[in-house]
Order: sequence, then structure tokens, then C-alpha cells
Amino acid sequence: MAAAPEIIPYSQVRHDLWRPLSGASRRYLAIVSLLSAITLWGLFCWGYQLYEGIGVAGIRRPVFWGFYIVNFVFWIGISHAGTLISAILRLTEAQWRKPVTRAAEAITVFALMIGGMFPIIHLGRAWIFYWLIPYPNSRLLWPNFRSPLLWDLTAISTYLTGSTIYLFLPLIPDVAQLAEHATGLRRKLYRFLSLGWTGSDREWHALERAMKLMAAMILAVAVSVHTVVAWDFSMAIAPMWHSTIFGPYFVVGAIFSGIAALLLVMSIIRKTMHFEKYLTPHHFDNLAKLLLLMSLLWLYFSFAENLTVWYGNEPKEMNVFGVRTRGTFSIYFWTMVFCNFVVPFVLLGVKRLRTIRTSTIAAIAVLIGMWLERYIIVVPTLAVTRLPAVSGGYSPTWVEISITIATFAVMALLYLLFSKLFPIVSVWEFEPHPAPED
Amino acid sequence: MYLKGNFQDRGSAIRALRELQAGGFPAAALDVFSDEPLELPRGVLDRRSHMSLTVVTGAVTLCLLTIGFVYFTQYNYPLTTGGMPIFSFWATGVIFYELTMLGGIVTTLACFLWESGLLRRNRRIPVPVVAPGIISIRVHCREDQSDEAGGCLDRAGASDVGRMGELS
Amino acid sequence: MNEPTKAESQTGHRWGMAIDLDRCTGCEACVVACHAENNLPISDPESAAKGRAFHWIRVDRYYEGEFPDIRVKYMPVLCQQCDEAPCEPVCPVYATYKNAEGLNVQVYNRCVGTRYCANNCPYSVRFFNWFDPKWPEPLHLQHNPDVSIRMSGVMEKCTFCTQRIQRVEREAKEEKRPVADGEIQPACVQSCPAEAMVFGDLNDRESNVSRLAESGRATRLLEDLGTRPKVFYLQKAE
Repeated sequence: MAAAPEIIPYSQVRHDLWRPLSGASRRYLAIVSLLSAITLWGLFCWGYQLYEGIGVAGIRRPVFWGFYIVNFVFWIGISHAGTLISAILRLTEAQWRKPVTRAAEAITVFALMIGGMFPIIHLGRAWIFYWLIPYPNSRLLWPNFRSPLLWDLTAISTYLTGSTIYLFLPLIPDVAQLAEHATGLRRKLYRFLSLGWTGSDREWHALERAMKLMAAMILAVAVSVHTVVAWDFSMAIAPMWHSTIFGPYFVVGAIFSGIAALLLVMSIIRKTMHFEKYLTPHHFDNLAKLLLLMSLLWLYFSFAENLTVWYGNEPKEMNVFGVRTRGTFSIYFWTMVFCNFVVPFVLLGVKRLRTIRTSTIAAIAVLIGMWLERYIIVVPTLAVTRLPAVSGGYSPTWVEISITIATFAVMALLYLLFSKLFPIVSVWEFEPHPAPED
Repeated sequence: MYLKGNFQDRGSAIRALRELQAGGFPAAALDVFSDEPLELPRGVLDRRSHMSLTVVTGAVTLCLLTIGFVYFTQYNYPLTTGGMPIFSFWATGVIFYELTMLGGIVTTLACFLWESGLLRRNRRIPVPVVAPGIISIRVHCREDQSDEAGGCLDRAGASDVGRMGELS
Repeated sequence: MNEPTKAESQTGHRWGMAIDLDRCTGCEACVVACHAENNLPISDPESAAKGRAFHWIRVDRYYEGEFPDIRVKYMPVLCQQCDEAPCEPVCPVYATYKNAEGLNVQVYNRCVGTRYCANNCPYSVRFFNWFDPKWPEPLHLQHNPDVSIRMSGVMEKCTFCTQRIQRVEREAKEEKRPVADGEIQPACVQSCPAEAMVFGDLNDRESNVSRLAESGRATRLLEDLGTRPKVFYLQKAE
């Protein structure tokens, strides 16, 4: 393991980690107002789309799925941040994860909430989205469990439930502590959420056992969730969608973009909340190494997929391949490769270059690259159809772009509100456990 | 009645627990309060847990219920599948998997709430106030045992040994 | 080549179509007739440029050779009413399925608008209502009362003029006689001046369409995908 962190007295830990919870600086209020405005604009755009019809978006025949589905896959991918940090690192007992787990899980929950909205936003008749839910009805109608979209519904609901529980459980001890020191409405909220936690060893044991089990199950669910989202594409017979590699490819891509999102959020938290002592360069170093690893893994999957398509030379697939690599979408494709591989490889692979700042730059590049990757997967296949008489490009309209930007604003807003109510670095997990005497 | 004692470090708390248990106080009467989890060595205050088994049972239960639900509803509702089989195990297998996991997750939460005793906590039993870094041990004993318990706590180096009355 | 699946062998009819590519002149009368019969929304050049045009049947043109030896093949492409339709399993609400007569039906009321079916159709014959349809006056008076008007957010496609099929079947039932071969003609079949299109019952081995389907000139579009379409294209074997 790397160098031990500086020993900080416990009261100092509490004071530092609780500091962001009290008061709201002018900068904070300004940012929250701006984000709220953007969110409201996004809601207005969606309302407009519901009123006028989904034709106000840029989707068309044959590109029936556009920005909304790209965003859907992207946000569900981001939600795998928590999976990696909380679940995998917990199972491997990597101690450095501790200050980072709650931030990661918060990303997961919010990203899932946002990602889960997009299948509703992209529906032609969004107000009857609940027909996908199996409920007894007088029309004796039932959804089609065969459809990958129903699998999406179950998978995302399960993951959202699991992640919320997984975020909530370790929050209980912190909230119980906060309840003792808070006043007014906040005290009531914290009391309620703490469920009467007293800190007895029974409670701690139950919590630890529950967290271990949850970690394993959340990992299993997370892998399946993004596989199921990938199968939305794989199960179709469209050229370059019908690929067996999509399941693992998407999971790897999700964890990749999740780590990037986490790195970015960590960087911002460190800067704005002055957590330099808690989110040390050691943490960023580890996250950066993980990001580099996932970049290489992503490259491996991408390369395998593209090589097999190119070598197989099947005409319909080559049409799509050509459009991606040499045609109208080539700028996005090669930007994606640059952002996902070249930038992380150079900035994070060279030890001298691997700093917090360059890691953040690499993370932003990866987020852009992964968004483009989803775009490259969804749109070119639809634009180049099997029968050559039908084909078309795709250009998003202001509605789609606004809603896309609004979702980033919603994410930031939810995160800001969350970090104002709950300590984003979990206090009880921060102190390293003394070694057991056994 | 309840007796409490505060300790500054883990070692002395463990000593106190060992003494108390050697003195005949059962694990059910002892509670250790701290603001971070203590990993107590084996033999000190072991508490049995059935969480793993219960969670597996919950997961398997929801799996079977889901398969049953999908199977029977697909046959009972007037579906027109046009030649596709009414119930297709592999085509709906993902749903079974997800809901199995959901069963495990929900059972974990339920088990946690039960085993921690959070929701069924008796509000009348007093809880020692735990300052940061302090470990507090609470012993539930009869009046005549209070001296013995107090002695164990003192010998282990407790500060602030005192009795706690029942809350109304 | 056109063995019925288990579900169909219980019913009487299995509707199919044969289109003779050697006769098709590419006049697109079928396209216009379909628009008129099925209350299709107006497709103007702007909507076509945006990819929003509706043509339940469209005529694809395939050019062969170089000038001056160019040959053009016209191919009317409509919903192939596949026996193993890839659009069916992916609809989450069962808005599209194969009915007892082998038709791939689209239930407008049930469609939620996920558009997965359209992505999965290899023939690109599915159309989505991006807006509520509007007809400039006086075309709003020209609607076919037998065909419902689809609202925004609903998928639609060629139905083999199911309203005409139902009308003829109803009449035949009332008159207690079987449906005669050639009695049902979808709008496109009826309007083709070259009589290139034939519609009929594939279960009836004596019908025109069955005989044409089994002739040596019959092929199907994108057959290797295993969709088992019921539209047979007749062309001279090269």
C-alpha cells in the first residue's frame, strides 16, 4: 500500500467534513440558481416536446433513436461509478476507497435517476409509459416480457432500488451524528433518517454484514444492468448492432466513464470544499491508474469489435463501418479514439505527467469520448440501412440539445443539494480501522 | 438497571468485555457504543447472525415468485403472440435474474433493520451519549450484580462509570 | 418456401402478395392509391428532406450498368408481413404481432412509441407519426372512413389494406360463400396499371399468388435474414 495519510485528530475530521453542510456561500447560491434555471429550461423543452409531438426533436426515419437514447446509455454508464468504487473495491478491501465511496454512490443514484428518465422522454406517447409495467387492468393487456425494453425496466428499477439502499445504509451512522449537532428542520430530517441509530455493536455488525452482502449483489446487478442496456442493441438485427461483444463492451465502457465521472467530481469537491487533506494525491493517483486500466480495456474491446467487422467484410456491416471510420461520422469516431485512449494513455501512463490536474483533464476527455462512443454506436447503424434506398443523416435540434445540457445541470444540482445536506466524505468510514488483535 | 463505563481506547474496552463475560454476564446483556465500528476479536461478544442464509432464501423466493408470475400471467392474459411461444424461459430470463437480485437486496435491508434492532428499539432503555473517539459499554444487570459489573469496568480502566436509569 | 407456422394452420387464410418486377414500370400509382386509401399524412418535400415522409409502399429504383446501357429495376417495397417478423418480439407492449391470418398487425391504440420495431425492421417499412397529422383543406374531407387516423407518437405501416380484407370476409360470411381468389385487392394492387401486383391466399394452393410464389421466378427480399416475408418478387432469372 502507499504512504499512510497524515493523522488528523478526530474532532478536526468532523469539523472539516461537516463544514460544507452549514451555511451557503454566495457562490453556491449563484451556481444553484443557474443550474435550476437550466433545469427549468430543460423541463420546458420537454413540455414543449410533449405538446407538439416528438417531431420537434431531430429524429427521423431511419434514425429513429438519437440523442435521447445516447444520453440514456451514457447516464446509465456513468452510474457504474459507484459499482466500481463501492462494490469492487469493498470486496477487494482496498482501503483507499473510503473517502470516495459516498461520492461515488451519490453519482450512481443520481445518474440512474437521470438515465431512467430518458426512456420516458424518448417515447412517442410518453404519458402512457406505465403501460410497460405489468399491472392488472380492465383492458386485459399485458406487457411483452420478451422485449429488451422490459428487461431494461426491471434492471434499472432493481439497480436504482439497490443503489439507493446502498447509499442510504452507510449514511445512517453519519446522519445520527449530525442529528445531535443540528437544529430545527434539519435535526428532524436527520433524526428521521437515522432510524434511531445509537452506535451499538449490534447495529455496527448488522451494518457491516449488510454492506458486504450488498456489495456483492450490487456488483452482480450493475454488470447485468449495463449488459441489458447493451442488449437493447444486440438483440436487434441491425448491422453492427447485432454483436455478441456488446454486453461486456458496454459494461467496460460504463465502468470507464463512471471512473472518469468520479474523478471529475472528486476534483471539484476537493477544490470547492477544501478537502485537500482528505482527498489526497494518493487517491487521485489510484483513480487515475484505474482510469488508465479501463482505457486500455476499452481499447481492447473496441479494437476487437472493429477488427472482426472489418476483416469479415460483410457488405452491410462494412457500410456502417465505412461511415463510422471514413464517412460522415468519422470526425466523431476519431475524436472518440483520441479522447478515450490517446489522452488518458499519455497523461496517465507517463508517471511524471500524472497529477491531479492532468487526471481531471483526462477524465473530462474520457467523458466526452464516451458520450461520442454512445453516439457512434447508436446513430450510424440506423443511418445506413440494409436497403440502400433508405438512408439518412441525423442532426439534433435545439430541443434535444437543451434537454441534454439540462440533464448535466440536473446532475450537478442534485449533487450540490446532496452535499449540502449530507457529508460527501463519510465521516465514520474515514478513520482507518485499527488492526484487529487477532 | 443499566451500568455504563467509558473507555478511551479499544484495548481497554476489550479487556472490560472479557472480564464481564468471564464474570458471567451474557452477551445479550452487554452493548458497546462507539461512533465507528470496532472490530472485536473472536470470542469477545460474538453475536450470531443469519443474514447470509436469509438473504439467499429471500433471493431464491423472489426468483421463484417471479418465474411463477411471468408464467401464469402470460398464460392467463389473452396474449396474441402470433406463433411466438407464450412463455419463453430464456427470452425472459433476464427479468428472473434481476428480480432474484432485488429479492436479495430487499431481504438484506430487512435483515439489517431486524438484526440491528433499529426499528424495534425500546425507547425506554437508556443510551449512553458517545463523544467522538470514546467507546462506551453498557451492562444490563440486576441490582445485586452492579458492584461486580462496576468492578470489571473499573479494573479495565473505565472513566465515568455510572448507573443509568430507565427513560420514561 | 412458404410453410405456415403452427398458429396459422388453424385458420383459413394466409395473405400474401406477388409483385412482378418485370412488369413494374415505376409509375407509383400504387403509392398514390395507398395514400388515398389509408389516410396517410401529407408528405411534402420539406418533410421528405427531414426524413419524415410517409410511404407505406415506396418504389425503390435500382440502376444497373453504365450509360448508355443503363437498366433500371423498380421495386415496390411495402411491409413484407414476415412470418418471423423481427419487429414483433421487441415491442414492449405487444402493439405489433402476427394475427391468425398471417398479417403483421400494428395496434395504434397500444403503441407507446418506443420505435424499437422500426429499428429492427430490415426493410425500413415502418413509419412513425412525429406530429399529429394535418391535411390542408379540402383534403381533410377525403379520408377513408374505414381507416383510423393515427395520432402523434404512434407507429404505422402497410396493413395489406386490412379494412378491405375484413369487408370482403364479412360479406362472404354473410353470403355464406368462401372468399374468391382475387376478390380482395389492396389499394396498390387495384391501382397498378401494369397489373404487376397479385394479392391472395397463400393457403389456397390454387390461387394466383400461390402459383406465382412457387414459380421459378419468385424471390423474396433479404431472405437470408430468416424473416420469411410473404411478399414475393418475380423477376426473370439472369
